[in-house]
Amino acid sequence: MHVVADTFSPQLHLVTPLISGLANGAAYGLFGLGLVLLYKSNRIFNFAQGEFATVAAVVAFMFDRGIGWLPKLPYFIAIAVGVLAAVLVAMATERVVIRPLFHRPRVVLVVATVGVALFLIGIEGLLPYPQTASMRTISDALSVKSYLTQIDGVVVLDQDVAKLIVLAALAVLAYLFFRHTGTGTAILAVSQDTTAARVVGISVERVSMVTWAIAGFLGGVAGVLLAVPPSGSVTPGAFTGLTLTVAFSSAVLGGMTSLPGAFVGGILLGLIEAFANADHSFVPGLNNLPAAQSEVAVAVVLLLVLLIRPRGLLGQEA
Amino acid sequence: MAAQTEVFTGFQPGPHADRVSAGGWMLRAAALLPVLALVLVLPAHSDDWANNAIYAAIFAMVGLSMNVLVGYTGQISLGQQAFLGIGALTAANVVNTGTAAADPFTFAVGIVTGALVAAGAAAVLGAIALRIRGLYLALVTLIFGSVTADAIFTIPSLNGHDAGVPAYRPTALQGNFAFYLFALAMVAVCIYVDVWIRRSKVGRGLIALRDNELVASAFGINVLGYKLLGFVISGAMAGLAGGVFAFRSQAFSDKDFTSAAGFNLALIFVVMVVVGGLGSRAGVIAAAAFFALLDPLLTGFAHHTGWLSWYTGHKQYIQNVIGAGLLLQTVIFNPGGLGQVLRPFTQWFGGKRFSLHDEGDAAAAALGGGGDNVRA
Amino acid sequence: MSVLEVHDLTIRFGGLTAIDNLSLSVDEWEIVGLMGPNGAGKTTAFNCITGFYKPNAGRVLYRGEDVTRVPPHRKAAMGIGRTFQNVGMVKSETVLENLLTAQHTKAGYNPLQALAGASAVRHREKELAAHADAILELLGLTAFRDRRLGSLSYGTLKLLELGCALASDPDLLLLDEPSSGMGPEESHELGERLLALRQALGVTMLLIEHHVPLVAAVCDYVYVLNFGKLLAEGDPDHVRNHPEVVAAYLGGEAPEALEQTEAPAEDAAAIPAKPRRPRGAKKEAS
Repeated sequence: MHVVADTFSPQLHLVTPLISGLANGAAYGLFGLGLVLLYKSNRIFNFAQGEFATVAAVVAFMFDRGIGWLPKLPYFIAIAVGVLAAVLVAMATERVVIRPLFHRPRVVLVVATVGVALFLIGIEGLLPYPQTASMRTISDALSVKSYLTQIDGVVVLDQDVAKLIVLAALAVLAYLFFRHTGTGTAILAVSQDTTAARVVGISVERVSMVTWAIAGFLGGVAGVLLAVPPSGSVTPGAFTGLTLTVAFSSAVLGGMTSLPGAFVGGILLGLIEAFANADHSFVPGLNNLPAAQSEVAVAVVLLLVLLIRPRGLLGQEA
Repeated sequence: MAAQTEVFTGFQPGPHADRVSAGGWMLRAAALLPVLALVLVLPAHSDDWANNAIYAAIFAMVGLSMNVLVGYTGQISLGQQAFLGIGALTAANVVNTGTAAADPFTFAVGIVTGALVAAGAAAVLGAIALRIRGLYLALVTLIFGSVTADAIFTIPSLNGHDAGVPAYRPTALQGNFAFYLFALAMVAVCIYVDVWIRRSKVGRGLIALRDNELVASAFGINVLGYKLLGFVISGAMAGLAGGVFAFRSQAFSDKDFTSAAGFNLALIFVVMVVVGGLGSRAGVIAAAAFFALLDPLLTGFAHHTGWLSWYTGHKQYIQNVIGAGLLLQTVIFNPGGLGQVLRPFTQWFGGKRFSLHDEGDAAAAALGGGGDNVRA
Repeated sequence: MSVLEVHDLTIRFGGLTAIDNLSLSVDEWEIVGLMGPNGAGKTTAFNCITGFYKPNAGRVLYRGEDVTRVPPHRKAAMGIGRTFQNVGMVKSETVLENLLTAQHTKAGYNPLQALAGASAVRHREKELAAHADAILELLGLTAFRDRRLGSLSYGTLKLLELGCALASDPDLLLLDEPSSGMGPEESHELGERLLALRQALGVTMLLIEHHVPLVAAVCDYVYVLNFGKLLAEGDPDHVRNHPEVVAAYLGGEAPEALEQTEAPAEDAAAIPAKPRRPRGAKKEAS
């Protein structure tokens, strides 16, 4: 978070982590939605979700800047193309990797998604674009002021607000989709018993393809929103290495079977992480915490959830 | 293949009917020679290759450690690099020579302590694993791996106040080839332990609990105790590898294990074990050697074909694509991995007839269609 | 002293009382049957006795010792063997390896010795293998010694499972539907085999069984469960004609239908087993 402060006020110590926590939390929530979707539908942890996001960001970036022989497209078109690329990659993953392994033990599929992630990182890295750059923010593209307001000297970025709004909207849409549409129900049916689903006329293949397309869409949206300054970039593997494990933890916290849980867990863990990281020198005795205090905090939260209430805050099964 | 009829025929001649003759053993010894040549002669020639070979030996030990944990015990661990690091950290700190060469006794103590401390850390992880299953355990081990590195390896008193902890070899092992022989000896120790795991109630206990905990209990196996044992043995082997790791570069640096580097190691190890084939000693060692030597081999190749600068700039990604490709190919088409491919040969070396057919090997049974052997 | 005594065993899962105040006993060298319609709680009772479930109330005594809270693996070491409803063995291993694994408690060395490759381990492993071969021969399964379980028929697997249960020289065998999946001839053979095993090895047995002719041929005493409660007990003939037992089964398989299978040979005279224990007046639990 960009901190603009000329007075050193005690409230800084609440506001900064609050705002950065919400912003990061939105990121975890956005990834979490895709992770929960695939857990509900395939009972797996998709370790490639981070790279679905990166693919979208890279493609959007390349079209936004017009790299190589690619045409330079308007920002929102570039973003749409990026998300489309993520959808296609996800569908390809489904067809080439997931489908043949459909009935194997879940662990095998998880390992396969690790392979997909690794593969995508490699491919991205071989593409000719500056890998340490970042995508433009929405406010940048619209040429408006990049921050909405300042609270006690801490800036509230447009992009972060956008992340939260999009996350909330997608969470609601996803929840309604599963509760009230035929396709949503079909996905749940396939997740429980493919034979029974076939018997009632559900095409398991089509459902699987649609599920992964949606997951790709969710990942792609996350990617184009998050690969922006100050902390995001289009570096291959960045999302997987830095964001994904925390996103998994936040999804577990919210409940791996709950889409609203992904939202809640994401925000909550983002806040926990930010407060763990915050400068504690105002609270005597706490300034000896090791540098990786937020990592430790996340790990402790994950362990507590798994040991005490494995189904998470809003999840269904034990 | 025996017929499937249900005829209870009573006693039949056992499986020892075809014993290998003296000539057969000599043939097998002769076939072993090129392997020995590769393993011993090449590193003896070149200091660089000896260094690479040491790296391969380290990977082989990590592979064997994962074989015990993931292959036999069926616990999914994606954070094995933490134990490697703990072993390295402990060995370097115990020896703590400053700039002098370590004396052999302290060196030995350092190596052994590294293995023991790593085994202890593994027991902690194991205790957690008793309550957390399957996919969630995978996530926990992944996080355990990165948290251990980022939170513990960065403690100033342990990492030489961010400068790294020196770990100089004893004078006798200063040369790379000499140290390589030491590393090979450590690999041999791991193989020895692995052989005895398989041949005894330890291995049977681990495999039984992986397969079906209820049945294992009914057979008298203390499931909780053996799960911990699996973690401890695995941790000890990886810790031993860690000691070798520290003395290979003659320093412990936390940067080898934190964030991106650590994550990378975690991924390589997973790929290595899957491509090698779970439960297969030979397969895992072969895969480990392959992935450890991939970079030097490709660098050499790029050098000769003129692609060197492009390769150096993109080597991480090229290795990713190769590793990922092999992983996916193995998982989808060849679940038994290299182990399955090598099986006719390893069986032959062990004294059986050379045959391309097998009743089915355990790894394929574990990963193949049906059967939840690696618990999810 | 009885080998096994169960007093007032009760276990609840959520709101459901799966077993309600069950008491039974098995004496030395007896073969006791545990019958009842599906869902009556028979396997649950087994699970409580062997320590897989912890009962809410009641006690389990093995040779007079209270073993209610003893975990399953320790009970196995004490001499209690059991089989499972859906063949319980290590599916990824071979027949021989299963028999070796089943002798875990009698291995005679500790893990540390094993990892070091001590010569004691080498020696013991040979003995364990010899014992496994002996069991294979006893059951006529030697042909399958090195086969993987996936290639065996269900009947063979059930027999092998019995072998694994016997492998650790148990004093008490709990068999969960040993004849399931078997036709009349195979069941008859199984009955003879069980009687022969009792004779040769001196094992006491508690059987969960649905197959009435088998129960009649083999069991000295029978307990019948229904909805977790003891419905009736007595010798097989008495129990099978008990009106409440018949009524309980009519919803499932009628005993009469089962009787149409081949009647077992009268070999009771040939085997000088302990006489059927008189239990006073035929008690009936209501």
